[in-house]
Amino acid sequence: MVTSYLIEKVGYYKVLIGLLLLTVVTFSLPEVVVSKYTFSAQMFIATVKAWLILMYYMHLKGEKTIGWSVLFSLLIVAFFFSIVMIDVNNFQYTDVSHITSPTK
Amino acid sequence: MAHDSHDAHDSHVYVPEIAVDREGKEHVVQGWQGDYEGGKLGFWLFMLTEVMMFGAMFLALTYYYTLHQQDFLIASASLNRWLGGFNTVVLLFSALTMGLGLLKMRHGDVKGAKLMIWTTILLALVFLGVKAVEWTAEYHHGIFLGLDALQSGNEHSKPFGQILFFGMYFTMTGLHGFHIIIGIGLMLWLLKRINAQKVTPDHNILHFNIALYWDLVHLIWVFVFPYFYMIGAGDIAGGVVHGH
Repeated sequence: MVTSYLIEKVGYYKVLIGLLLLTVVTFSLPEVVVSKYTFSAQMFIATVKAWLILMYYMHLKGEKTIGWSVLFSLLIVAFFFSIVMIDVNNFQYTDVSHITSPTK
Repeated sequence: MAHDSHDAHDSHVYVPEIAVDREGKEHVVQGWQGDYEGGKLGFWLFMLTEVMMFGAMFLALTYYYTLHQQDFLIASASLNRWLGGFNTVVLLFSALTMGLGLLKMRHGDVKGAKLMIWTTILLALVFLGVKAVEWTAEYHHGIFLGLDALQSGNEHSKPFGQILFFGMYFTMTGLHGFHIIIGIGLMLWLLKRINAQKVTPDHNILHFNIALYWDLVHLIWVFVFPYFYMIGAGDIAGGVVHGH
């Protein structure tokens, strides 16, 4: 009982250290490397942090039913993201849309 | 049938309803009060609706970002990322204290669990305080919902892409802040339930679910922070002075 408590407690602190390190990387990376990939790098780091939180702090590790449900809903979000991104990357109405040129 | 004889110590223990059939035989009615897995699954379904809601907001944000990249980078660079970064660390530690509280509760240390919940509430208030300082500074710089800088068509108007950025910034950080306030309310309610011994080491699904909620609030910030504060960091926007 006490042993499992200690193991779990140490686990929480290990994840904390991982998240803190990734936060430091989030914060310092754009100052060190100025790049057009800053946005992608930031989102990648955020995804790794999210994975750590989901697996360990939200106890999804070993959860089959709930794990698949979460993955499925994230895939739906990703699916709509992809469709909209394809659309907006081929935006054809720059001159007439109020989203791009409200004063025209 | 009420069971008033049960005192507060075991009032959360389910006492089954009895149904009587035509022959007068008694049958125990299936109850779900102790259904830990069901409680957990139900709460996850609620959280998935939260993911969909914030997912849609991130989708709108990404749509605008794709159309107005330079404006977004300039607007992002003007935010105070030290305050945003500080709040990121505050939320990170609050996720730890909430998790440790649940761990203590599950292992019978109720007093320790309550201390951890109070610590989490304190950290949540610090987060809100920093956010208030940040928004106040932005307001004094003329940047707030409804002010001229964020309305198109007047002499103080910011470029349209920046108006969209700040509109999304106040909406999303505001909605996130609202979730923090709800979280504080839930934690206070949880403390009340613990004091009433409705939440105990053997009956902790409410504690588990509120800890899950708090992790979700943290998880959303993990994406909100880089998206608003960090994409314009460094010199990527072309030498913009940082911080309001």
